[in-house]
Amino acid sequence: MIVHFRLNGEPFDADVEALTILLDLLRSRGMTGTKEGCGVGVCGACAVLVDGSPVSSCLMPVPCCEGADVWTAEGLARREPALVDAFLEHEALQCGACTPGQLVAAAGLIADPTPARDIRRYLAGNLCRCTGYAPIVAAVEESLPRAVGEVPGEAGGGGL
Amino acid sequence: MTEFRSPATVSQALADLGAEGALALGGGTALMILVKSGLLEPDRVVWLGRIPELRQITVRGDGALVIGAGVRLADLWRSPEVVSRYAVLAEAASQVGNPRVQAVATLGGHLAHADPRQDLAPVLLVLGASVLAAGPAGTRSLPLAGFYTGFMSTALQAGEILTGVIVPPPPPGRRAAYFRFTPGSASDYPTVGVATSLVVRGGQVVEAEVALGAGAAWPRLVPGAGEAIVGVPDHDALATAAGAVAAAADPSNDQRGSAAYKRAMARLWTQRLLSRLLGGTTPRSRLRGDPGGDER
Repeated sequence: MIVHFRLNGEPFDADVEALTILLDLLRSRGMTGTKEGCGVGVCGACAVLVDGSPVSSCLMPVPCCEGADVWTAEGLARREPALVDAFLEHEALQCGACTPGQLVAAAGLIADPTPARDIRRYLAGNLCRCTGYAPIVAAVEESLPRAVGEVPGEAGGGGL
Repeated sequence: MTEFRSPATVSQALADLGAEGALALGGGTALMILVKSGLLEPDRVVWLGRIPELRQITVRGDGALVIGAGVRLADLWRSPEVVSRYAVLAEAASQVGNPRVQAVATLGGHLAHADPRQDLAPVLLVLGASVLAAGPAGTRSLPLAGFYTGFMSTALQAGEILTGVIVPPPPPGRRAAYFRFTPGSASDYPTVGVATSLVVRGGQVVEAEVALGAGAAWPRLVPGAGEAIVGVPDHDALATAAGAVAAAADPSNDQRGSAAYKRAMARLWTQRLLSRLLGGTTPRSRLRGDPGGDER
């Protein structure tokens, strides 16, 4: 079946089977920034944004994306350069396997209109085995839009 | 090859589900794991994500909340009606899995999947919720307490889908809370999950329900636990209630703990949950305080 959606801001078509998962489609088209980790929605390595929210592409049937606005790490790296810079500045990565998923989750949090979401709680579903998380949290904290008058360093509820 | 349908109405969905080998798909976070592991091989998948009538959260004339089965968990905990009147449900929904799960998983899928480790069943049980099931013969309502019939089994008949959840209006003086014990990652399934709803009036507990999620083969109200704390409960009453929950637990040994450990944790976390709602070391003094509306 043919499925149409927007991918990284551009129209995109794919001829897929009913239960083809988005992760496999993206990687088969050369977008290997989206990684397969656990394959069961736990680790976050395969996160992509669908209509603004992070989702696990390893569990997302492509036909459920019909008409959706999908962003991968590749597109977000272009859309959110300040976020990428913050990850580099804070050395918020080491092996890099989780980094595309972390960027996707962070972009989802930045776009989340719900105020005062706790960064650590939001990112708890994106596993990283290298950094110990502190630099990731710092990079995301720096990238969150601040309300007028808010003190830098206290954005987004500020973690634990 | 599997066929994909995305009906726009409940009646069309029921027609699509009439075929042999057809399965309903909500957000896919549970179903796709079963498909990927080879446990399910549907001939047809009927995605319920394009049915507007299933995505509504409405307040009925009698004050009850009706939540469509297609409401996603992220929409549930953001709903002003849910947050203001059923804070315990909003809080629990915001703790299920991770934001990626909450963005797609639906309330109907969460309940109908009937994995005993799901968080919202015990919460909805103590809130006295009912579910709506639509099938070829029409729509019926049944108490959530009668919905689970065994391990990963429900009262849904072949060709029926869960279309909504009805939560009665909160009584004045309700205090409700849910605790999910996750000794590993916060986004893991709970090792045990315990929910309680109390109604406190005039310094007395006049109604109480306790439900157990993870820690039993299916989510259940615990007989005897609520009754134990009606009146002005002392420590022995809390211990009796916690003992009833431990006795109702029916845990299995797995990577989240041995059966004995889970049973012990069901007792411990029930006691902690009740102490929190009734006031740490002096339940009596807490009961004399503000009795009203604390949903946490």
